[in-house]
Amino acid sequence: MSSVNHTVLGKRFMVVALTFFAIGGFLSMLIRAQLATPNSAFIGPEIYNQIFTMHGTVMMFLFAIPMFEGFVIYMLPKMLGARDMAFPRLTAYGFWCYLFGGSILIIALLVGAAPDSGWFMYTPLSSRPYTPGINADVWLLGLTFVEISAVTAAIEIFISILKMRAPGMSLARMPLIGWYMLVTSGMMIVGFPPLILGAILLELERAFDLPFFDPTRGGDPLLWQHLFWLFGHPEVYIIFLPAAGALSTIIPVFAQRTILGYRSIIAAIVAMGFLSFGLWVHHMFTVGIPHLALAFFSAASALVAVPTAIQIFAWIGTLASGRPRWDIPMLYVAGFFCVFVIGGLTGVMLAMVPFNTQAHDSYFVVAHLHYVLVGGFVFPMLAGIYHWMPHISGRQSLYRLSVPAFWLIFIGFNLTFFLMHLTGLMGMPRRISTYPSNWGWDWLNLLSSIGGFILTMGFCLVLADLVLQWRFGRRYRRDPWKAQTLEWATATPPAPYNFAALPRVDRRADMLEPAKIGPVLAGARAISASCAMASRKRWASTCSPASRST
Amino acid sequence: MLLAGCSGELSALDPAGPRAASLATLWWIMLGGAALLFALVMVLFGIAYLRPGWLSRITPMQWIVGGGLVLPIPILVLLTGAALVLGEQLLPKGDAPLRIEGQARQWAWSFGYPGGAGPYDGTLHMPAGEPVDIAVTSADVIHSFWVPRLGGKIDAIPGHVNVIRLEADEPGIYWGQCAEYCGQGHDGMQFRVEAHAPEDFAALMAGAAQ
Amino acid sequence: MSGANQRALVLLVAGFTIWSVGFVALYALQALGCAFGWPQHRAILIGAYVVSLLPLIWLAMMKTVREGEPATSLSVAALWANRAALASGVLVFLPVTFVSACI
Ligand SMILES: [Cu+2]
Repeated sequence: MSSVNHTVLGKRFMVVALTFFAIGGFLSMLIRAQLATPNSAFIGPEIYNQIFTMHGTVMMFLFAIPMFEGFVIYMLPKMLGARDMAFPRLTAYGFWCYLFGGSILIIALLVGAAPDSGWFMYTPLSSRPYTPGINADVWLLGLTFVEISAVTAAIEIFISILKMRAPGMSLARMPLIGWYMLVTSGMMIVGFPPLILGAILLELERAFDLPFFDPTRGGDPLLWQHLFWLFGHPEVYIIFLPAAGALSTIIPVFAQRTILGYRSIIAAIVAMGFLSFGLWVHHMFTVGIPHLALAFFSAASALVAVPTAIQIFAWIGTLASGRPRWDIPMLYVAGFFCVFVIGGLTGVMLAMVPFNTQAHDSYFVVAHLHYVLVGGFVFPMLAGIYHWMPHISGRQSLYRLSVPAFWLIFIGFNLTFFLMHLTGLMGMPRRISTYPSNWGWDWLNLLSSIGGFILTMGFCLVLADLVLQWRFGRRYRRDPWKAQTLEWATATPPAPYNFAALPRVDRRADMLEPAKIGPVLAGARAISASCAMASRKRWASTCSPASRST
Repeated sequence: MLLAGCSGELSALDPAGPRAASLATLWWIMLGGAALLFALVMVLFGIAYLRPGWLSRITPMQWIVGGGLVLPIPILVLLTGAALVLGEQLLPKGDAPLRIEGQARQWAWSFGYPGGAGPYDGTLHMPAGEPVDIAVTSADVIHSFWVPRLGGKIDAIPGHVNVIRLEADEPGIYWGQCAEYCGQGHDGMQFRVEAHAPEDFAALMAGAAQ
Repeated sequence: MSGANQRALVLLVAGFTIWSVGFVALYALQALGCAFGWPQHRAILIGAYVVSLLPLIWLAMMKTVREGEPATSLSVAALWANRAALASGVLVFLPVTFVSACI
């Protein structure tokens, strides 16, 4: 329980995040059950509003961000050739904050007092006069704990990348995922405080009647929207960039060639990190802001497609100039290309102010955001799970269930969400709990609901596959995929200190030979006896970096 | 066939006025472009995977500069520029012949006409064939005013008055709804829009004033 | 971290940091001009546009490695990031020249 080791905490983060993913997924099934037919009386608006609010909140705050934090906490030190993160106790603090904040929300849901003002919590609907119960306070309180956890993780990742790399691994030799995480953590450090500030202001208004957002007493409800989206838009890129980092690690392994365009991808990541802060008002194109102000954000939103395109073509080029081989992670990479490119293209459409005035707050946006987030995070995450699960479990997959599971997910996802583009353009607004049958939305919603249940079956099959792999998978020796990054030079499952002796890196760190380095580093155990001592205490950071002096 | 499948009383793809029609045109153009780009990326991905030899002569620089810069930048500049020009044309510049006040509250709409005249029946009455400004605000939480077949949407925000310009080609009944989540009655916040021939509209206003 | 590395890291984010400052400044000038009804609103905006581009042009033309030092991956990435920042400035701020500022 009191562990501060990054391997243990990383796994805990991921397991808890996946549990929240299951909860969020279950809520989405309730939503689709309710919307499958017109005039549905399955759940009334009171419950429905809590469910869609919690679905968004759980997926964004309790699943996506902690999931990649867990992945990074587990993997980053291994990829950088370090023994732990920079501040192990801070890792543990962040984990418990996250678990505590998330639990508050789930308990509130179970007792029927969950937040019901939408995951974006627009004032004045979320202010005291219109949400008198504790529902909104639960959101503000629970989420603030989770945000604190995210900020601590971000600071930790940032410092670890700058300070904990193996000897010889200069920034210019760091694997690309290190760059992705450096930029992402920097974005989190800048992006989360506006939301924390907004939450404090709103709680002050609710608890002490300070009218920050009340127009009758000199406040303005738009202040909340600016604070929320100043966080909320970079958030999308905070979720996408780590996934893109995973793709930039996985694709070269299966292309059997190092990534193409290393330097231009670094520039693209930096560009994305900054541009993503110039987009927030595209969630607010219809609030009545002058056209010139909208134009800045419209142009920046369109322009952010350029660094994305650079990465997409760098990945395709890597495959084209390598010797691609087929395996389950690549199936999900292919799914990513298909789904994410559609999401990116509809994103450019939505960045156009005139079109946005029709599509905004309709199911078109629901379709778009799921294409971006599922395409840009869930598909890469599944590719990553199949890629790195052997590292955690020490076993390889059996592959009996992986392929049908992929197709269920891929087909179910597209059936659910592709049709929603049309549903939205036919006028269905978001967040309605039911609809009459005279608007022509019936068949679209029914098919979306069927797709949703196919999608869920796919996820269940993935879960079954992973359990089977854990239990019956084939054991293997080092580096089963012939990857060229350091994490495969550890033992699998890894020892708490990762490396008995720290590796010395003499070239770019995505061109190494883990199968050769690994045994050498492990054999050096005797030299750094203090590591073995430390490992018994499960606190690897006290380990003296024996090989660092040379 | 396809267009018939998109028709509906609330369908943005079934425009009934010049402003909604230009928005629908923008959509169809973007859809065509997006379909081409999607096909291009997927074909390249497929070839890269199945027949990497076909593409092996493309250098890294060509991939990055060609796919990442030369392909998207001209498209994005043209599209954004065109969308901004279209946006300028759709702005409520100057004074429209008629300005109607729309007020949202949980969970209904009410409309007021110049001089305090007009029927207070929750229906938005407007003349057909000419642009009409709707000045939208809210008495409580944020709502959004959306008549998909006549134009885009604008939010009704307490403390703000936002103006949107709509135009219907023909007299008839259209439907609008609240697009911003506004609490438990959000589902039912539809409203009727009735476009009248100009002389009928004048008569309606005169009749209501008495 | 070596001095050259540190310099390259600063240069890597320099262009886009300036871009961000320019972005916020233009957004603020747009809003202030409307709030106070500045008569030369458009001229001020265009002036600020040009001023914000000057440091971006300077950075984009600057060498990211000192004389005699070899170009590293980082210095090349920094050069490209700064050119991208200049392009972003030119394109994203361009609407000040023709789009309605207050409606
Ligand atoms: Cu409403």
